[in-house]
Amino acid sequence: MPDQRPGRAAKGRSSGERSSGERSAVDGSAVDGSARDRSADERQVDHDAIDRLADDLLPALVAKLADSGLGEIEIREGSWRVRVRRPGGDAPGPARRSGDRASRAQPGHAGHGHQPAGFEGHRSAKEARDTRETRVSAGNQTNGSTPAGLVPVGPGAEGREASAPAEDDGLPRTVATSPAVGVYQPRAEGRPGNRVRAGDRIGAVDMLGIPQEVVAPIDGIVGASLVEPGQAVEYGQELVVIEPADDTSPAGGSGPSGASGGRATRPGREA
Amino acid sequence: MFRKILIANRGEIALRILRACRTLGVEAVVAYSEADRESLPVQLADEAICIGPADAKRSYLSAPAVISAAIVTGCDAIHPGYGFLSEDEGFAEVVRAHDLVFIGPPSSVLERFASKESTRRLLAGHGLPTIPGSNGILRDDAHALAEGDRIGYPVLIKPAAGGGGKGMRMVRTPRELEASLNVCRSEARAAFGDDSLYLERWLDENRHVEVQIAVDRYGHGIHLGERDCSVQRRHQKILEEAPTPALSESARTELCERALRAVVAAGYENVGTLEFLVDNAGNFYFIEINCRIQVEHPVTEMLTGVDMVVTQIRIAAGEPLGFSQADVTIRGHAIEFRINAEDPDREFRPSAGVVERYLAPGGPGVRMDSHLYPGYEVPPYYDSLLGKLIVWGATRDAAIARARVALDELVVDGIVTNLAIHKALLASDVFLDGKFTTNLLDRVGSAAFLAAAARS
Repeated sequence: MPDQRPGRAAKGRSSGERSSGERSAVDGSAVDGSARDRSADERQVDHDAIDRLADDLLPALVAKLADSGLGEIEIREGSWRVRVRRPGGDAPGPARRSGDRASRAQPGHAGHGHQPAGFEGHRSAKEARDTRETRVSAGNQTNGSTPAGLVPVGPGAEGREASAPAEDDGLPRTVATSPAVGVYQPRAEGRPGNRVRAGDRIGAVDMLGIPQEVVAPIDGIVGASLVEPGQAVEYGQELVVIEPADDTSPAGGSGPSGASGGRATRPGREA
Repeated sequence: MFRKILIANRGEIALRILRACRTLGVEAVVAYSEADRESLPVQLADEAICIGPADAKRSYLSAPAVISAAIVTGCDAIHPGYGFLSEDEGFAEVVRAHDLVFIGPPSSVLERFASKESTRRLLAGHGLPTIPGSNGILRDDAHALAEGDRIGYPVLIKPAAGGGGKGMRMVRTPRELEASLNVCRSEARAAFGDDSLYLERWLDENRHVEVQIAVDRYGHGIHLGERDCSVQRRHQKILEEAPTPALSESARTELCERALRAVVAAGYENVGTLEFLVDNAGNFYFIEINCRIQVEHPVTEMLTGVDMVVTQIRIAAGEPLGFSQADVTIRGHAIEFRINAEDPDREFRPSAGVVERYLAPGGPGVRMDSHLYPGYEVPPYYDSLLGKLIVWGATRDAAIARARVALDELVVDGIVTNLAIHKALLASDVFLDGKFTTNLLDRVGSAAFLAAAARS
C-alpha cells in the first residue's frame, strides 16, 4: 500500500524530470505545513535522488521488466518508491490516445485538452489511486525514449476520481476532471485565484438534470479553466487547473503552469 | 432518416453500425468507456465521446450517460447494438421521453415481449407450437401421471416458480415420475418457497434454429430465412450456419412463414429473431424472441444480400420496408465462426492482452467483422468476442472448403483464441454430416472433442 504520511508524500510530489536538478521541486501540496520548511540541503538531497532514480534505476528497471515477463516491478528506497508497469498490465498505462488526431471532432467544443503525447489526462478511478506513486511507462507507449514518461503526482490525488495530474510543458499540474458526460457549470468557489482544499466542490456537470460534482483533486489555488461554462464535456475531460499551493508563488497568480500550452485557456467565469 | 446516430456499444458491432451509418450517409458518434479509448470504432469514428469508466454499469449500461451523450452531441437516435441496453424497455422509453429515437422496437413492443412466459403464450395464440407440457400446475400424483402419458416420455419436471435447474428432473418412465415428484416438490419448496410443478416434454437431442424477421411500422413484414445455431457450449453459440441442415426446404419455408405470420399478428416491429428448438423428427417449438440485431446477423446478410443493420435503422426511422418477400432470395450456404478470446485448453477461460499480430483472411465469399488491429489491447472488462469470420459458398461443402482456407489464414497472436475449436469442428464428422445438436459439445466435453479432432 502507498505510504500516506504527508511528509513523505510531499516528497513524492517532486518533479521527476531527469533534468529536475535544474528547477525547484514542487512540494507545496502536503496537507500539513511541515514539508514546506525544508532546507536547501534537504531539497538537494531530493534532487540528487531523483537524478539517480531517473538516470540509473529506471533504465535498469525497464530493462528488467522487458526481460522478465513480469507485469509490474516496484522498488522502495528510503522514502522513495518507483513502480514500473508493463503497458498491458491490469490498469491501462499512460497511453497514447486516438483522440490526438486532428480530425477528431468533439462534442460542442474544439480540442479539449488532448495531450500532445505521453501522459494521459483522462484516468480511471483505479489509476487515479495509483498515481500517488512515481510511474514510468515501459515500452513504446510514451513519446519516444524511456523513461520519458516519469511523471510526478501528488498525494492529494489519492483516492479521488476527479483528479488528473498532467504535464503539458514540463511543469506538473493537477487538473479537476469531469465525473460525467453532460454540461459543465462552474461554481463561485471555483473562481480563479481561490484557495481550495482537496474535495471542495468547484463546479458541476449536469447529466440529464442530475448535477455531478466536480471537486478539487488537491489543496491549491484555482487556475485556468479549460472549458467554458455551459459547454458540453465528456467523462474524464479536463476542466479546471489546480495549482498546488506553494509559498513561493503568490496566491491567485496563475503561474507558468497555468498557461497550459496549446489548449483553449480562459479564466473560468464566476458561476 | 436520422441526422446523427449515437452508437452506444463497443467492439465489432459498434464498427458494424458505424459502417451502416456511413452507408446511409448519416453522421455517427461512437460512445465509449475509458477502457475502449484505443478501440477501432473510436479511432474510425468522425466523432467519439467518453461516457464513463470501464465498468459497464457506469458507461454502456448507464442510461443517463448514454442519453446525455446523445443530447450533447446533437444526435437524434441511439443504436444500442446487442447486449447492454438493447432490449431494455425502460431505456427505450426514457430515450423516447427525451425526444430521441431508440433504434429497435418501440418500448411498447419491447414491453409486450419482455417476459418469456407471456411471449410464449402470446405467440402460441397466434399459431406457433411451443414445447408440449402439462395443462397448468400438477394437482396431484394422479394428475401428473395422466399428463405424463398424454405428453409422452421422457418428460421434464419443472418448478413453476423457479429456474437454474433446481427442482428440475428428467424422467423416462411413469414409475420414475412417481418416484421423483416428492423430491422435486421439496427441492422447489426449499429453493423458491413454492412447490408447484409442471411437466414439459424432454427434447433429448435438439437443434437450435432461429428465424430472422423484419417488420416495418406499417405492419409489412418479411422473413429472411433461418439460421442454425446448434453448435453451442454451455448455451453459448460458437458457430452459426444457414440454411439449417436439419430441415428440408419445404419444412424451412413453413417454419419461416409461420414465424412471420405469428409475429406480425402479435404486433412486432423492427428486426427480430424467433428462436426454436427442433427435435429429431423435425418438429419445431418456439422458445423465445430476441428483439435486437443479433451477433450472427451476417449469416443472413451473406445469404440474402440484405443489409440487416441498414434495414433496422430505416425501420426505426419510420420508413417502409421497401421490398417484399418475393424480393428476398436465399442463395447458397453461409457459416459464421465466432472468434473469442478464450482458451479452449483451459475450460474456455477468457483471455485479455495485447494483439501482437492480426491478419484477417480474405478471398471470395470471405468476410471478417472484427475490431482487432495489431497493437490493440483487449480489455478484460467485457465479453470475449473478438470478431466473426463469415464464409459463403454455393453449397455447404463449398462454404466449408472456404472456411478451412480462411481459418488457416487467420492469425491472432498475443492473446489466446478459440480458433482450435473451429478447426476441430471442421474435422468432425458429426458437424460435416450436419448432425450437430445443442448438447453435443457439453456431453462429449470440449477437451475430448478437441483431442478427437487432433487424432483424425
